[in-house]
Amino acid sequence: SEPGMELNAASPGGKRPENKDEEKVQDPNTGEAETKAEMGNKTWADLAGEMKTFLWNPEERTCLGRTAKSWGLILLFYFVFYTCLAGMFAFCMYVMLLTLSPYTPTYRDRVSPPGVMIRPYLNGFTIAFNISKRSTWQPYVDSMHHFLAAYDDKVQEEKNIECISGQYFIQGGNESEEKKACQFKRSLLQNCSGIEDQTFGYSRGQPCILLKMNRIIGYRPGAGVPVSVDCKVQKGNESDLRSVDFYPGNGTFDLMYYPYYGKITHVNYTSPLVAMHFTDVKRNSLVPIQCSLHGKGIVNDVNSDRFLGRIIFMLSIGK
Amino acid sequence: SNSLTFCLLQFSLSFGIQDDHKLSASELEEKYGTSINKGLSSSRAAEILARDGPNSLTPPKATPEIVKFLKQMVGGFSILLWIGAVFSWISFGIQFAQGAESPFDNLYLGVVLALVVILTGIFAYYQEAKSTNIMASFSKMIPQQALVIRDAEKKELPAEQLVVGDIVEIKGGDRIPADIRLISAQGCKVDNSSLTGESEPQSRSCDFTHENPLETKNIAFYSTTCVEGTATGIVINTGDRTVIGRIASLASGVGNEKTPIAIEIEHFVYLVAGVAISIGVLFFIISVSMRYKILDSIIFLIGIIVANVPEGLLATVTVSLSLTAKRMAKKNCLVKNLEAVETLGSTSIICSDKTGTLTQNRMTVAHLWFDNQIYSADTSEDQTTQPFDQSSPSWTALSKIVTLCNRAEFRPGQENLPIMKRVVVGDASETALLKFAEVILGDVMSIRAQNKKVAEIPFNSTNKFQLSIHETDDPNDKRFLLVMKGAPERILERCSTIMINGKEEPLDSEKAEAFQTAYMELGGMGERVLGFCHLYLPENEFPDTYPFDTDSMNFPTSNLCFVGLLSMIDPPRSTVPDAVSKCRSAGIKVIMVTGDHPITAKAIAKSVGIISATSETVEDIAKRLNIPVEQVNRREATAAVVNGMELKDMSLQQLDDILCNHSEIVFARTSPQQKLIIVEGCQRQGAVVAVTGDGVNDSPALKKADIGIAMGIAGSDAAKNAADMVLLDDNFASIVTGVEEGRLIFDNLKKTIAYTLTKNIAELCPFLIYIIASIPMPIGTITILFIDLGTDIIPSVALAYEKAESDIMNRRPRNKKKDRLVNEQLAVYSYLQIGIIQSVGAFVTYFTVYAEQGFLPSTLLGVRVDWENNAINDFEDSYGQEWTKYQRMYLQWTGYTAFFVSITIQQVADLIIRKTRRNSIFQQGLFRNKVIWVGIFSQIGIALILSYGLGHVTALNFIPLRFQYWFVAVPFAILIWVYDEVRKLFIRRYPGSWWDKNMYY
Repeated sequence: SEPGMELNAASPGGKRPENKDEEKVQDPNTGEAETKAEMGNKTWADLAGEMKTFLWNPEERTCLGRTAKSWGLILLFYFVFYTCLAGMFAFCMYVMLLTLSPYTPTYRDRVSPPGVMIRPYLNGFTIAFNISKRSTWQPYVDSMHHFLAAYDDKVQEEKNIECISGQYFIQGGNESEEKKACQFKRSLLQNCSGIEDQTFGYSRGQPCILLKMNRIIGYRPGAGVPVSVDCKVQKGNESDLRSVDFYPGNGTFDLMYYPYYGKITHVNYTSPLVAMHFTDVKRNSLVPIQCSLHGKGIVNDVNSDRFLGRIIFMLSIGK
Repeated sequence: SNSLTFCLLQFSLSFGIQDDHKLSASELEEKYGTSINKGLSSSRAAEILARDGPNSLTPPKATPEIVKFLKQMVGGFSILLWIGAVFSWISFGIQFAQGAESPFDNLYLGVVLALVVILTGIFAYYQEAKSTNIMASFSKMIPQQALVIRDAEKKELPAEQLVVGDIVEIKGGDRIPADIRLISAQGCKVDNSSLTGESEPQSRSCDFTHENPLETKNIAFYSTTCVEGTATGIVINTGDRTVIGRIASLASGVGNEKTPIAIEIEHFVYLVAGVAISIGVLFFIISVSMRYKILDSIIFLIGIIVANVPEGLLATVTVSLSLTAKRMAKKNCLVKNLEAVETLGSTSIICSDKTGTLTQNRMTVAHLWFDNQIYSADTSEDQTTQPFDQSSPSWTALSKIVTLCNRAEFRPGQENLPIMKRVVVGDASETALLKFAEVILGDVMSIRAQNKKVAEIPFNSTNKFQLSIHETDDPNDKRFLLVMKGAPERILERCSTIMINGKEEPLDSEKAEAFQTAYMELGGMGERVLGFCHLYLPENEFPDTYPFDTDSMNFPTSNLCFVGLLSMIDPPRSTVPDAVSKCRSAGIKVIMVTGDHPITAKAIAKSVGIISATSETVEDIAKRLNIPVEQVNRREATAAVVNGMELKDMSLQQLDDILCNHSEIVFARTSPQQKLIIVEGCQRQGAVVAVTGDGVNDSPALKKADIGIAMGIAGSDAAKNAADMVLLDDNFASIVTGVEEGRLIFDNLKKTIAYTLTKNIAELCPFLIYIIASIPMPIGTITILFIDLGTDIIPSVALAYEKAESDIMNRRPRNKKKDRLVNEQLAVYSYLQIGIIQSVGAFVTYFTVYAEQGFLPSTLLGVRVDWENNAINDFEDSYGQEWTKYQRMYLQWTGYTAFFVSITIQQVADLIIRKTRRNSIFQQGLFRNKVIWVGIFSQIGIALILSYGLGHVTALNFIPLRFQYWFVAVPFAILIWVYDEVRKLFIRRYPGSWWDKNMYY
């Protein structure tokens, strides 16, 4: 019948192109070169050539796909755009800074309650030396002297006034007025003043360590009762630390040094200190010591911040 | 049968049915060790089953799940993140070995990065598995039963258990359960469309009629359908060894092309990874030369990579695509492969089947000719009346013949269904006539009952007519009525008179001429024409008791009275012309590829608009100008109808020529194999080709196409397996809605990516400035991950719901090479403009937070080393206050949160501007896309929860933020919006200008 003939006619001639097609299906590299090229089947040489033309096309005189004029325009556009943006940034910052007081930060919630630091501070919280070897403790002594230079009695008398002990030294008036600072004389530190014993006890194995409470503007520590300091062995045998002397007073920060008014108006303010004289510490072993502040409003037991209201350091005194 | 493919031939010759069709019944019995009467014994059958395996097609070899999963783990940005994770662990190892204080940060960061990769990988894998499952459930069919003779008993068995040598019986309506050599058949016809794509039923008998096993009538193939009649046969091939099984395995050999969207996403991943790596390496070198420690430099590198990689984006793209897939499924396009969603949108050529896709897939009466006049009938899908003039007595006579000379019947129990939907037993033309009569006359069955049939000669190919003799329903008229229908010229030969306005008039040459004209006209419309005639037998010669004998034909079959012509066609679906014109305006070329006759194909092409009313083929021009075809200038013809026979002799060059030079093309009488050639031809033109198909033989073309579309109703399983998409309603118009969705998702993905990329700069700048200016770290790596995978996810998905900005069906399909998903303009605008604005806004917030706590910007510059020194616990700020390390860290985390919040706030503005690329937001409508607002609220909600809800979980580095810091970046958010409106305004005002070219993405 008719259809049958058609098929017979079709089969012998038709088979060959069919085979060709099948080959093409299996071999992705023949034909459709353009589409394949897009898919990254290019050779490295092609790629390099293309890259070169992209970088500099001598025919169209384009660099990175743009002519000089086009580059000029686009660079001009971005220059104007970024200038405007920078202007807006500057304006916003200016407005923001206008809202700030130069004397008191807007918020003081992150910096209080106060943290604690010690001196001498070289590069860590381990104070280790051999009494017999001067070179091991001399850096600590130098650090102390350097730190206490600002507390020299003469300097203090010259710059600062004597205040009434036992009460906050509140200075009213205009915020921008310069504030007076109370004298904290080095001599108050007695055995740890470095006046009589120039080595702060280091040469005798009885080191002095100064404790300093972080400054916070307007902060009144202790709410009327002076904040005191005590020290104990942090971990281990309590008897490793047998005696500590505190100066001045019994290791308290006198109220008259507070509040602090900020570095612009309270120029000569010197932070009050408590000196801890470790007169009898176990020798030849690393003794971890924690010194804490005590007082109303003082926090000294936060796990995440080991310098809040307390400080932990190591003492290792050798012969 | 003419559309059998070459591959079929090859396969049948090489493996084959061997020569089973040539053997006699007894030889077959011997060969297969069976008995035609008794069948196999159960035990023997079990043995063969154990040897050959079940009679089912092995599903295409699936990629092992673990491989699929691992692919997701290393695809896209995952590699970069793995590198980041490994670096984190290495630096953890080094720090741990050195006994540093907090090495665990890096360990956690590595774990988090690994978790991000694994979780996004699991998500992508899950999405893929879900879409595969839809398909799996879809292709699951009700287990087929077969009637088998075993142990000399007839048994119903699941078709899977059939073995070679089994004797099976089939009847009309059954699916052939295996390849079968028929040994007896009564009026058996099979529909081989699942094999060849041709729906014309072919008769089957037990005679060996052709050398070629595929041509011979005594073999019925697995998965084809028996339309009518009954047959018995021996199973000669089962499962994968059947002809269909071989073709199915052939289809799986045709490689799948990468989808356009996959290429685009790959391009985008390369781009972003390139930026990430170059900035990372550049700053690694800078930080090393700035005397940072190598370890620190590595940590910076990780931060830069994390900031640059849009971790959530690939998941977002997947979700957007699957949302569109869901929307398309509602519109009857079931997408198997998510990426195919977009492919449909970039389609530039659709090669469509005719039957069933463009047409209704059922014969319908289209025209009538009686009383010397042509009448048109309604061919729509849901006709309930016929509007043509039915007053003529000739129509009454014609309608009687149509009703009576017809063996088709409705299946019982369908009285409540609309006539057009009822199932009919009978062939296509008779069905058309039955329905046509039922619509006009009402209850055809009772009319037939009133005109009792006394004799009948069914249609056969020698006579080419069908005849029946009836009593009349007029009790006063005792004459018998002889009615006849058939090929018009054969019917006319038997007539001597013709009925005009109810009166019989002699059939003179003038009237015969009129008949010829009408016949030619109807035939020229591609319609199948039938002639109808009748004769009232004189009562005296043929009394009540006359014994009609159909074998001797003891009644007149000539000198009849010609009544009229009816012509039938498979009419186009009513929605198709509109869909085709939409394709046209969308720049999509529709090519019809059919196995049908060129005239029919052309007629349908014209009626649906594939060939427009004004365009002509070469042949048309030749006819109009009255010159030979060869002299016609081929360039003048916009349309072309190409016969499969011509196509066979064409070189690839010639085919390319046709595809290039004609905008309206119809391929007729093509085999499914030629379809593959046509598809490849289109792809050579650089087109993205969609192909529809239903037959098994279409599967190679479906696979080869950029997007294969299988028919959900008529399609074979093999076609559905090979396709990327299944049209649930077989309707061409559904493809067009799919195209629309595909184009929309491409636009929207562009927006999503632009949105996501923008904040990468705001995440990256902090690192760069941290390294260069040595300020405290503005934002943490973990915080960045919370933006990428937290606040930004829902908004970027929400952009997938954005409505189109303009009529996307009025523009040309995108050019694969030029219209990239992520182009230079998009990257530059997002990175260098909006991204920079965002960074500036976030830095303003950062500096504000620090300044209000006591660290003025001038103090911050260069403090990094002391700031990060754990031992310095009396760090002095601008006011003289002293800070412990932890207090500074807490402030730093507050800075992270502030930076994070600022980015989030500005991302709200970014989200709003990304709703459109060209139109003003006010043209688009702020509130039309409600999902965007869900996105905005979720974004702010998540930020609130992170800051206030999880603000006390230290590991996350979020801090409850002061309320006012949420608003510091608002001016910059407004700037982003205003600037973008200005950009769009200039783009609209000055199309083609420098601004348009550089600013439109």
